[in-house]
Amino acid sequence: MSPGLVTSAKNMLQNTADDKNNKRKTVNSEKTSSFSDKNKNRSADSKKKYETIIKVKSVIPRRRQDLLKWYGWGYKDSMFVLDENTTSFTGSRYLIGGKNLPYAKQWIKEHFDVDISKPHKVPQIPTTFPKSRLPDNIKQELEKITLLSTDGMDRLIRAHGQTLHDVYHLRENSFPRIPDAVVWPENHEQVEEIVNSASRHHFVIIPFGGGTSVSGSVTCPANEDRPIVVLDTSDMNSILWLDKEQLLARVQAGIVGQDLEREMRARGFTVGHEPDSYEFSTLGGWVATRASGMKKNTYGNIEDLVVQTKVVTPRGVIEKSCRVPRLSCGPEWEHIILGSEGCLGVVTEVTLKIRPLPPVVRYGSLVFPDWDSGFHFEREVARQRLQPSSIRLMDNEQFRFGHALKMEQSWGGVLLDGLKRFYITKIKGFDPLKLCVVTLLMEGSAEQVADSEKKMNAIAAQYGGVPGGAKNGEIGYTLTFVIAYVRDLALECDIVAESFETSVSWERALALCRNTKARVRSECAARRIAHYLISCRLTQTYDAGCCIYFYFGFKTVGFSDPVRVYEEIEEAARDEIIACGGSISHHHGVGKLRKKWYTSTVSEPGRLLLLAAKQALDPDNVFALGNMAFDQYTPDVVKSKL
Amino acid sequence: MSGFVNFTDILKPRNTKFGIVKFMTKKWDPMKTLTLDKYYGPQDLKKVVADSVYIDSFLEAESLRTGVSKEQLKKKVLEYLDEIALDEQTHVMRWMGIVFLKICFMMKIGVFVNEAAVLKLKSTLGKNPVLFLPTHRSYADFCLTTYLCYHYDITLPAVAAGMDFYSMAVVGQSMRETGAFYIRRTLVGSPLYAATLRHYVRTVVAKYGAPVEFFLEGTRSRSNKSLPPKYGMLSMTLVPYFAREVSDVTVVPVNISYDRVMEQTLFAYEHLGVPKPKETTGGLLKSLHRLNDHFGNIYINLGDPISIKEYLDRSADQLVDKSIHSAESLKPLDLQQLTVDQMDKVQDIADYVVTLQQESTVVTITNLLAIVLMQSLIVDEALSLEQVVDKIDWLIDVLRKLGASVFENDLKASVERILVVHKQMVTLDGDKLMLVPALPMVVSPDVQKKMKGHILKAETMVNAIPIIQLQLYVNPVLHYLIPPALIYAVVCSGDTTREQLFASYCKLRKMLRHEFFHLEKTEEMKFTQALQYCMDNNVIRDSIQNPGTLTSGPDRELQLLLRWSVLPALTTLATCVDVMMQCRISDHAQLLKLVQERAESGRCHPYCLSLEAAANCVQGLTLYGALLRHKENEISYEVVPDKIQECHSLITSVLPKINVDFSSSNTVISTNSIKSKL
Ligand SMILES: Cc1cc2nc3c(=O)[nH]c(=O)nc-3n(C[C@H](O)[C@H](O)[C@H](O)COP(=O)(O)OP(=O)(O)OC[C@H]3O[C@@H](n4cnc5c(N)ncnc54)[C@H](O)[C@@H]3O)c2cc1C
Repeated sequence: MSPGLVTSAKNMLQNTADDKNNKRKTVNSEKTSSFSDKNKNRSADSKKKYETIIKVKSVIPRRRQDLLKWYGWGYKDSMFVLDENTTSFTGSRYLIGGKNLPYAKQWIKEHFDVDISKPHKVPQIPTTFPKSRLPDNIKQELEKITLLSTDGMDRLIRAHGQTLHDVYHLRENSFPRIPDAVVWPENHEQVEEIVNSASRHHFVIIPFGGGTSVSGSVTCPANEDRPIVVLDTSDMNSILWLDKEQLLARVQAGIVGQDLEREMRARGFTVGHEPDSYEFSTLGGWVATRASGMKKNTYGNIEDLVVQTKVVTPRGVIEKSCRVPRLSCGPEWEHIILGSEGCLGVVTEVTLKIRPLPPVVRYGSLVFPDWDSGFHFEREVARQRLQPSSIRLMDNEQFRFGHALKMEQSWGGVLLDGLKRFYITKIKGFDPLKLCVVTLLMEGSAEQVADSEKKMNAIAAQYGGVPGGAKNGEIGYTLTFVIAYVRDLALECDIVAESFETSVSWERALALCRNTKARVRSECAARRIAHYLISCRLTQTYDAGCCIYFYFGFKTVGFSDPVRVYEEIEEAARDEIIACGGSISHHHGVGKLRKKWYTSTVSEPGRLLLLAAKQALDPDNVFALGNMAFDQYTPDVVKSKL
Repeated sequence: MSGFVNFTDILKPRNTKFGIVKFMTKKWDPMKTLTLDKYYGPQDLKKVVADSVYIDSFLEAESLRTGVSKEQLKKKVLEYLDEIALDEQTHVMRWMGIVFLKICFMMKIGVFVNEAAVLKLKSTLGKNPVLFLPTHRSYADFCLTTYLCYHYDITLPAVAAGMDFYSMAVVGQSMRETGAFYIRRTLVGSPLYAATLRHYVRTVVAKYGAPVEFFLEGTRSRSNKSLPPKYGMLSMTLVPYFAREVSDVTVVPVNISYDRVMEQTLFAYEHLGVPKPKETTGGLLKSLHRLNDHFGNIYINLGDPISIKEYLDRSADQLVDKSIHSAESLKPLDLQQLTVDQMDKVQDIADYVVTLQQESTVVTITNLLAIVLMQSLIVDEALSLEQVVDKIDWLIDVLRKLGASVFENDLKASVERILVVHKQMVTLDGDKLMLVPALPMVVSPDVQKKMKGHILKAETMVNAIPIIQLQLYVNPVLHYLIPPALIYAVVCSGDTTREQLFASYCKLRKMLRHEFFHLEKTEEMKFTQALQYCMDNNVIRDSIQNPGTLTSGPDRELQLLLRWSVLPALTTLATCVDVMMQCRISDHAQLLKLVQERAESGRCHPYCLSLEAAANCVQGLTLYGALLRHKENEISYEVVPDKIQECHSLITSVLPKINVDFSSSNTVISTNSIKSKL
């Protein structure tokens, strides 16, 4: 029996009959309810378990393809459009929406030399799909539990994440394997039933949140013989309770970032977790990938925000029995779940910290003559632990890319315009081809923000930086969200582009950036790639290091398998990163793309521990995504290896 | 609890020249049930509830569900709280006390309290919340525990009162100001109200430091015997314990027994299906002159307090253990509610407390006199006062052996006192004790329209009313008599083995579960005890002819008592079975009518005309599986042929063969008295 609660108002003041164990409770006069009534109440109870439940209407519909681009990133109505005369960004969702981008073409020409007059390759919507292999009996069983679809499109768009590899296959409709069905459970109890069914019938479950994974983690495993069912968590998006006193909220794991944040803000609160994908990624996805948000300095990364998770594994539900601020009770199993990449079970509910909305939010920017001075500035801010909510350093290429997306009018405060340009280049003597920009996001009371700004400016001055205005800061952060749309345009222009990131200690960071860029350049040279872009930025700071984010793209004309080429170069870059003391990933996770370095990162005993977790929680490998070292798991192999 | 009990009349010391005023102006610094660093007053409580995380979260969700703005809903919550919340006005308490005492003296009431138990309870106050759970037989119950607390300097209890008082001018407000809080009878269809009430009750228990009093039975029992409990209030009041806002909750079962229940006549009419008039302050005032009469004694008996913690720990099993670490404790404290297992435990406790209330019954002289008179009616033989006193003496002995507490000092004087108290019902005609029939009632078309059941004849009602009233005073004692009575009834139907006896006993008890409240889990023990009692007291004995079987014993007098005590219930049960076997399918109201009609034409014991008794039997038969209950627009029943046949043969075989004429030709019904009444 599910642990439903007796909260039904009906039961409160009326006599109730209870036939549990044939133990009959007493009943009075005519007003009583019969056994069956009570039973009805009970099953209804589990649904009504939280009478404080806030049902959230998601921006994203169940038929994702109605709102989102099936073949790429983001909203259908939002994309870069390039034609003879103009470049523009469609839609009205973003700051640059509907605006002409007069400088873009020039920039593209300079960097990639592509012929933009060529017709764009927008792919045709697929009409044929691999047949669903889900046997009818299982299908019927699952349909009894919850909504199910075997529609080809529904399955195709949930076969992948957002890696270059995924998107390439998607546009070609060339995935070797796509899921056989999609289910949309509404709550924890239904997930339990589905997982139960999977254990009995030996099918595979893929937990699917927003599908924004950039590690291949959510990508449908190619060599799986069992039927594969995608468990789409998007119907599990209620806020179960919200405690304004404790500053906690219990939320179902399928809630999408922007929905969560909108609902919280409407009530005067914020979670403050804003990965650049937060318009589409989900709470459960964040937990499963150990995500990191832009404003982690104020609110923390996902592991700092999560107080408690509830996870359905084939071996049962794993959840701590108390909700406390800290616990000394052996290893923290919450950390087995954080970063489990969908391979151990389904996160169904999460208790999260929330904060009151800050009264003042202010952007800022600082301009530095070069990367090194900007870097040392950031290091100093971190040393003094003065970081505002976000502080990022863009290298010169990125700065110029931002400039390329400058709108026709209305970008009044842009750096290289008018007086400011004059001031920065002539008076301060900054080289436009070397200068770098720090963007700031400050939150707090008016006093705190003013104080923070003053301190930033003072430290910047020590490193030769000058204030660049609030508008530039704001533009920097908005660009963050549209940059993801660039890749679709790029692909249509025969450019492949992708980002990758790492974390590194302060003292190795400068060398790492230099060496990695150099490595990419030499890899390109070796392949005679003339048109490419390699750029980086420093997106997060810690006491003992930072996160570096690289962008790399190149023109593919002449390559038969550009994705393969891209992957080779990224692999080389990663080897370089690791050789320079960087990590396999700061926040994207391992997935399938970075398996190669998993064991050397965690050590052999670490790998064994990972497989032991699998053995303990999912011995039959229901969650067969094969991320990290999980592809080395088969029930027998583990036995002999352990 | 059994044997001799010592009770003290707490009103008597006030019956002096300035007794009332002096006492009601005494210094008021009562003992609290909780020792807290911060005390919450009545207004604080409302604020705590209104500002709680629970209400806030609830409004949030409710606003989404209904589309009504949160502010508007919050306003509604504040209105609800004004409707619900108790208050504390010392001057009102003092005035109410004066009025209460004046009326008591007018009614010549004695309030007898088991003082030792009160003092013992008082000595333990301060540790955790206390719930007073009294039986509910009369509206008078509402004043009694409150006065008792005043008398013993205990904070006046927060008393859950029904909305009928709320709407009474002055009285409603005064009750509120002396600690009453108001609850609606049903929470269905009003989730916001339910949430407000739930949180208010929880907050009062956890933060108010006053005993919390409510009636488990939910309504006044019209039959003067225990009703099955309702679980809503208890579950709300125990949440603070399950959420560990408090370390324990002490539950005090209270039995309030009356020599004369004010509402007795009203109740008797209700049994027959004449709806009760609505209570109004005007009505209350009008009835005041009728209060200048003798109402006898009221006995307030506090049962042994139960520690909820100990009770649950004792019954702790895997389930409970798990439920402590439930998903509920992961919620914010304010949102924590009972799990299904905890709800089961609450129901268990409620059922158990009702049995403790039963065990705390104080058998009054009225009860004893009623039994003797009823028996006298049944054997159609009037008794002299002397004989009556002898019978009562014998009866006291019987009941004490069965575990009852009987409070009597001077038997003869007491009986004479009761004859005054109940002069409307019993009388000495010559030197014989007789029943006074009711005034003939004009069954006008208007009255007919209001009748819930079958349209009874005026002459039926003349004797039915007083006999039902008399039965109301027999009823509180029946829970002692029924187990041996059923055993004897089964043995009377033919020699039987112990196993067969137990099987038939269990079946009958099940069918009568609603008529005679009892716990299923203690039935085997109850049976063993009752059987032992029957053996020890010569009601039954081992058969000599048929070794291994049981047969009737030699004690005719005790046997007679047992036989007739179960007569009305078994007859009603048999009537229900007959009716259903005939019509197969019937809606609820129609079924009760038919049962009444058959009971009238069959000249059954007048208590068989009771709609309540019939409803109880129908529910018993449903529980047994002989009837299927359907609920569409209205409730209806359908017979299960083989099961009902089973019931039929069992009941007819054990039904005591007693034929009595309950009409005016019964020698124990006084015909003279009616004239004097007129
Ligand atoms: C443009 C872009 C920007 C990005 N920016 C950031 C960033 O700033 N910071 C950052 O950390 N990441 C970023 N990412 C990566 C990605 O958004 C995160 O990894 C995110 O947490 C994935 O969430 P999702 O809901 O989309 O999960 P999915 O992609 O659906 O799934 C990711 C993995 O989590 C598993 N999973 C999902 N839900 C559950 C669940 N309920 N229970 C168990 N397992 C589950 C899946 O099986 C899969 O293995 C970005 C990606 C893109 C494309």
